[in-house]
Amino acid sequence: MSTLVSLEGVTKVYRLGQVEVPALRGVDLSLEAGDFLALMGPSGSGKSTLLHILGLLDRPTSGRVLWQGEDVSGLRPGRLAELRGRAIGFVFQTFNLVPTLSAQHNVELPLLFQGVRGKERRRRAQELLEQVGLGARRRHRPAQLSGGERQRVAIARALAADPQLILADEPTGNLDSVSGSEILELLAGLNRGGKTVVLVTHDPEAASTARWVLRMRDGRVWEEG
Amino acid sequence: MKDLFWLAVRNVLHRRVRSWLTVIGILIGTAAVVGLISIGQGLQVSITRQVERIMGYNTLLITPRGPGYGAKIQLDLPRLRAVEGVAGVVAVRSETAYVEGPTRSGFLPLVGYDPLMREFVAQLSWELAQGEELTAPGQVVLGAEVSEQLGVQVGDTLLIEDRPFQVVGILAPAPRRQGMARGVPISDSLFVLYSDLAQLFPGPDVAAYAIVKLSPQADVVEVQTQLERVLVESGTLDAEVIGFQEITDRIRTVLGGVQAFLAGIAGISLLVGGIGVMNTMYTAVLERTREIGVMKAVGAKGWQVLLLFLYEAGLMGLGGGLLGLGVGLGLAHGAATIVGKLFQLEGGLSAAAGPGLIVGALGFSFLVGAISGLLPAWRAARLPPVEALRYE
Repeated sequence: MSTLVSLEGVTKVYRLGQVEVPALRGVDLSLEAGDFLALMGPSGSGKSTLLHILGLLDRPTSGRVLWQGEDVSGLRPGRLAELRGRAIGFVFQTFNLVPTLSAQHNVELPLLFQGVRGKERRRRAQELLEQVGLGARRRHRPAQLSGGERQRVAIARALAADPQLILADEPTGNLDSVSGSEILELLAGLNRGGKTVVLVTHDPEAASTARWVLRMRDGRVWEEG
Repeated sequence: MKDLFWLAVRNVLHRRVRSWLTVIGILIGTAAVVGLISIGQGLQVSITRQVERIMGYNTLLITPRGPGYGAKIQLDLPRLRAVEGVAGVVAVRSETAYVEGPTRSGFLPLVGYDPLMREFVAQLSWELAQGEELTAPGQVVLGAEVSEQLGVQVGDTLLIEDRPFQVVGILAPAPRRQGMARGVPISDSLFVLYSDLAQLFPGPDVAAYAIVKLSPQADVVEVQTQLERVLVESGTLDAEVIGFQEITDRIRTVLGGVQAFLAGIAGISLLVGGIGVMNTMYTAVLERTREIGVMKAVGAKGWQVLLLFLYEAGLMGLGGGLLGLGVGLGLAHGAATIVGKLFQLEGGLSAAAGPGLIVGALGFSFLVGAISGLLPAWRAARLPPVEALRYE
């Protein structure tokens, strides 16, 4: 297996006025292609910050981020956006669908920003919505869908550009247990299909779906056990 | 990018009441600009037509130089008439004469009449209510009002500057607004033949203005130059010769100025509309901070977010412009119909809107929207993705 992303001595310090708040205090992590990692820990432990840095949404204060061996910490925002769009899919706790767009158009969004032609976009979005079991609800807007359905649209959107890495930040946090386990099953299925998945959660049951669990506390990562 | 444009269309259409209120702001501005300009253009067309009807292309005017109302010029009529290409010269000359009627007397305007005058001065409302035309010396025709004041009938005799004149006709009351034919108050005047006037007031011909009719083949420019030379040679330096083209040009200049002024005022409301767009877009950027974060997370680059918001702002401008154009043209049309009726303009007054105005109005309103959206869009494009996602 090859290394997809690795973090070397990554720290992140937030500035709140005069106060400096360390969110990550030196994290070394290497993610192999095909991994299914669960990050656990109490709120404020730095899980989301780590996920944002893995997802190239944020830059570390110090340390290096290597994407397939290449240092990407210094790339321009435009190049980072391109890499995100092509290689990384995000699933959020609050779904974060665009309310004015139908399920179909939400799934098409990443492809639109990559300049994929309309016909190809529609075909791909339709295929993905069918894959997550929402083929019949393509034209519904987010407000007309249940929480579980919205999260499935979000997963379809994360998959639109066929990324190598799926990052899910508390994807079951706003769902009932039935919808939640459906979503976890979907993620597990994607991992079996070859995607690398990182799941941030504080629910041990959700974490047990993953094949590798790391705990976070005070901005540091600990191996389970 | 075409796809971003359609995304912007979808966003604007699905926005709430606020974007419609913004659109109305632009609508009012555009309607005002379009309405005023098209009325102005219509006015220009109608006035040009009016002047053309009155003067025709083969007429020149000799008038006092400058704007002084009531100024007079001294003319050497025989020499002017002798210029090649001139078919006739009518001097409109008016003097104040002492008139004694059967019951009352006083100083009244006395106008030298030339039968050619009626043909030339179309706006001279010369219609006899009683009696007949002036044909011979010693005859006088009275305006409607003055005949009443003096208490005279057709057939009576008046003393003008101690000379007896026979009343042969009385004019019909002139319609309002046409009572004045450039310095000649028709209703209040007495009319005698020009030769009689010249005898009563000997000396040079001093006229308010003169009308020069050209023969059909005459070269207007050439005749104009010749007339000017005659004026200079006979010592009349305070007069100028103007043609149809110059008159319409002058009217156009004045109207253009007025129009630009009005359009400027209307433009201010368009500016206010633009500020409305800016406000809406700023609010939208705040409200949709998370959405911007999501778009960036799924791979939107800064310029794509910028373009999306610019399109949205421009579309609101364009939508307002489109509706404003319709409303403005409708208003102008209505106003023109009313004004045309009110002032009894012959041929009416119709608002004119050329393709330039239409394209210009639409382009301008799109620009106003887009420029107003520039700052908010710039802000949206520069939001760091993580902060945008974390925004509540």
